Amino acid sequence: MTASTAPVTHSSQARPPIWRNTTILKWGVQIIVLALVIAAFTFLVSQAKTNLDQKGIPVDYDWINDPANIQLGEGIDTQPNSMGRALWSGMVNTLRIAGVGILVATIIGVFVGLARLSHNWLAQKVASIYVETLRNIPVLVQILLWFAILTSLGDLTQDSGVLNDFVFLSQKGISIPRVFFADGFYQWLFLLLVFGVGIHFVRKRLQRKQDLEGGDKHIGLISFGLWVLAAAIAWPANPIMSWVGSIFDAIADVWGSIPETLMQLILTAIAVGAAVIWIRRFLESRRTPAGLAKLTDDDWFRMIFAGIAALIAALFIWILWPGLSSWIINSGRDFFEFLGNKFGGERGSLPLDAMKPTLSEGRFVNYGPTGLTMSVFFASLFFGLVFYTSSFIAEIVRGGVLAVPPGQSEAAAAVGLSRMQSLRKVVLPQAFRVIMPPLGNQYLNLTKNTSLAIAVGYSDVVQVGQSLYNKNNQTLAVFGIWMTFFLACSLTTSLVVNIINRRLEIVER
Amino acid sequence: MSEMSGPLVVPSAGAAEIAFGVEHEIAPEDPITPPGRWMRENLFSSWSNGIQTVLFAAILIGILKWLLNLVFAEESDWASVATNIRLLFAYNYPVEQFVRVWVSLGTLLAAAGLSIAAWNLDLSFTLRKLGINTATGGGVLVLVGILTPGTAPSDVRAGMFVLGAILLVIGLAVLFGVKDPHRKRIPFEALLISVAGLVVAFVWLFPLGRYEFAGDEASYASGTINISTKGPWTVMMIVLVASFLVGKALGRVLPSGALKGVMAAFWVIGPAFLIFVVLRDPAFDWGYVWAVDVPMALGFALLGGGVLYFLTKPGLGELGRIIGAVLFGVAVFNWVAAFFGLYPMLQKGRISFMLLAVFAILAPTFAGERAARLRFATGWAVLVVVMHWLITAINTPSTLEIVAPPFLGGFILSVSIAYYVMLASFPLGILLALARTSKLPIFRVMSTVYIEILRGVPLITILFFFSIMLNLFLPGGMSISELAAIFTGYSLFSAAYMAENIRGGLQAIRRGQYEASDALGLTTVQRTMFIVLPQALRVTIPNLVGQAIATFKETSLVSIVGGFELVRIANQTIPNQPDYIGQNRPALLFISLVFWAFSYSMSRASRSLEQHLGVGTGR
Repeated sequence: MTASTAPVTHSSQARPPIWRNTTILKWGVQIIVLALVIAAFTFLVSQAKTNLDQKGIPVDYDWINDPANIQLGEGIDTQPNSMGRALWSGMVNTLRIAGVGILVATIIGVFVGLARLSHNWLAQKVASIYVETLRNIPVLVQILLWFAILTSLGDLTQDSGVLNDFVFLSQKGISIPRVFFADGFYQWLFLLLVFGVGIHFVRKRLQRKQDLEGGDKHIGLISFGLWVLAAAIAWPANPIMSWVGSIFDAIADVWGSIPETLMQLILTAIAVGAAVIWIRRFLESRRTPAGLAKLTDDDWFRMIFAGIAALIAALFIWILWPGLSSWIINSGRDFFEFLGNKFGGERGSLPLDAMKPTLSEGRFVNYGPTGLTMSVFFASLFFGLVFYTSSFIAEIVRGGVLAVPPGQSEAAAAVGLSRMQSLRKVVLPQAFRVIMPPLGNQYLNLTKNTSLAIAVGYSDVVQVGQSLYNKNNQTLAVFGIWMTFFLACSLTTSLVVNIINRRLEIVER
Repeated sequence: MSEMSGPLVVPSAGAAEIAFGVEHEIAPEDPITPPGRWMRENLFSSWSNGIQTVLFAAILIGILKWLLNLVFAEESDWASVATNIRLLFAYNYPVEQFVRVWVSLGTLLAAAGLSIAAWNLDLSFTLRKLGINTATGGGVLVLVGILTPGTAPSDVRAGMFVLGAILLVIGLAVLFGVKDPHRKRIPFEALLISVAGLVVAFVWLFPLGRYEFAGDEASYASGTINISTKGPWTVMMIVLVASFLVGKALGRVLPSGALKGVMAAFWVIGPAFLIFVVLRDPAFDWGYVWAVDVPMALGFALLGGGVLYFLTKPGLGELGRIIGAVLFGVAVFNWVAAFFGLYPMLQKGRISFMLLAVFAILAPTFAGERAARLRFATGWAVLVVVMHWLITAINTPSTLEIVAPPFLGGFILSVSIAYYVMLASFPLGILLALARTSKLPIFRVMSTVYIEILRGVPLITILFFFSIMLNLFLPGGMSISELAAIFTGYSLFSAAYMAENIRGGLQAIRRGQYEASDALGLTTVQRTMFIVLPQALRVTIPNLVGQAIATFKETSLVSIVGGFELVRIANQTIPNQPDYIGQNRPALLFISLVFWAFSYSMSRASRSLEQHLGVGTGR
């Protein structure tokens, strides 16, 4: 040992020449490459600026408040008064189709995926034909096909339905009756929440009793019954909760009266606090029983990076976009006012109401109490995305179930669970862990694929953005908005998936 | 795969379960179960099973009926597809020069035949499988015939019944007439020859009718298809079979691996040759080519090769690094000088200098015995010659007289884009993946930011950005064609996904590999190039095939930003022809079939590749 370590210590004492020092080489190369990348970017951007200046197109976001003069096919605002409002409407449309699409694609995907695992030969075959067909045809082609099929349907008349007066299927779109939230819904929901707290305690007590005394106390059945009872009691009694609205109104008032500087201070405190907490946690994780471990240059880099990130955030809040805090104040106030409006009021009607589709002059009535209508644009995009994505989800579900060791379902069968029970209580909970990350990816893919709306003319954020930059040539600015929007979507999705993943992790004992 | 739990092995459509390698790796198949018992076990084993059977039969029949109604609807004019087949596959490629397309296809088929022989892909299957597939196909055809609506032409319907019945009878005869069908294999040669023969017989005998444009009017005549179609296809099939047989014969003569190496090189270089020389037909100015281009390429190849051969000498020490650094300085100086308008030089000279500098810096890593050094120098020479030749070919104007500007269109465009995007994003993806997994924090952050941003936004916005904006970012005087811009954007986008796939492969490598290479005293570059990457890429192959399929499917988005790609032709060009106003449904259905056939066969191949790689890890 000593013989072999001696030369090593010797050579480490003789310092290598400066161009052979690994630390210097490592950081030197990295900084040179970083400088090159930054230089290339600066060059390209300055070039773009020169070219744009020559064409007389300023790069800024002042146009956001300009009048839009475009008409959107559908959405919260079909005749937006400003370009910003048009983009906002497009974003809501994107989220609308993404949200519903994710829900339906998951349901179909799980069904098909389980059918592929069925013991029934025909079910397996039909499901695998479904998967293999749909996932191998480009989603754009599928969307266009649906559009071609739907637009060749008949004209809309009173009896152009599958079921007269109730379900309509025509080239103007698809409409079905719907149940919608009436005025009393939010108060009803709040009342239910109050009851829910009580039910939770009952449930806990029963659970303790069952744990102590053994036997089956039918916890699930009893709490389900209590929920039904609560819903039924709250149904007519919901107006008594109308005072909740005034609480939200009060919050809105307080929120709206925060001075801008205070909000800026709060945001800065959050950014700096987050960095400090992160660095402290990081140091904590490097602490060994023998004291703080030696920090590598990479560790230092991470901590400095966290500090720089906080600094950039502060810069953003105070200098680059000081309007951010007033925007947060205003939108927060609007949000709570909206809630106050929803929860308040003595209108006191039923929580839910149902309506069937109404027609006027060969078109669906889109607003007011009417049926649930999908325009052909929405429907073709929706069908295309949902069926395409569901075929991938089916494969993920199947893979997840197959990843559960067969011993688990054998053991479940051995303790006398039926196939359905073992699927629900043993296999699926374990499969869920494997399924979750790729499922999140598919949700993200579906959200990104909504941008194909442009092929059928559904007014999503990309289509609206394109018609805006065709008007005012602000291509670069619109790209910035698209990018921010989609990055926000993907970051939110991966955040949610990460949280769920952490909760699902096997607790090691 | 556990696709099937019953006694009958999947009689699904993709019967050609490609089994690589030798006979003993193929799992033995079960003998035939009598139909009655099979149905009892698989369809009606219990009450719930019976209900499932009824439910899924209803779903299947409902969907089939709906689809057939769509296909045979009165307003669908399938002549719009039949007349426009050439448009769909090759767009406006001039008819007089169409032999170029056939030569390209023939070259690809020949290469395919040789490759199948070189890698010894055994696609044979048993009589049992053949019987099951034929009988299932026949049965499905009869079912389709029954469900076909009355709007379909009566001869089509009758044809379905007759063909279905024949297939059913043949299939059943093979299954129950032959003794032990699960033990008898059909050799692959016989299979290939009979498939090729069937294709030839089909194009010569089947009365598909002649659809073409006479002037601007669509015309139709009954009979078999045009000689200008069936002639080339006959040749194609002969080329495929012949090249396979030649490959088999060569395999016996040549040393093992020689043919594989040549074919691998072809698949990297060949398509570029086919597109930029055969299809594009550049009008080379031969005088200039011989006076400037050839000497330049050869000069770089030979002199650079010599320098690299010297630099790979073992024990060169500090001198090698110094030469590399000097070369790098020269290469950077060339660009800087160009920026100030000094020191004019052909652009490809600058690119070659930069490449040479990179090779020179890497050279000490490849130091070794004579053969290895020669291989390194030869690799450089081949790369530089191919690069020079490609740049020259791309910069030479084409001789083709084409109505609309792009000489690539239709299916050829889709395939070309998918191929080149994969090829271009591969090196970039490797670099990004290495950077993302490296211990160098700035590289890691840069690569992570790049990957996450590109993966977070939809492809279509990237394509919009590049097709509209790329020219804005270029310095004055430089411009880039729209197709090239789209290709650039798509490659950069694809590289982010490629990087994530390769990163998965890198993470699969065990710590011991790193420790062992450190123990051997390898440098970081040597460890990465000779130990880590070869193993990581091997693990990544199935995922890369998956990405290739996705890339191919997503070439359809090119139609939105202006490329004359399959979808654009089907959805816009054909419905605007005076004869077929508004007819986009048949064409869309047809291109769905084309996309499906390609993606599906690729995914089947990747699945068996996965099994093959799983089996072969010991080698």
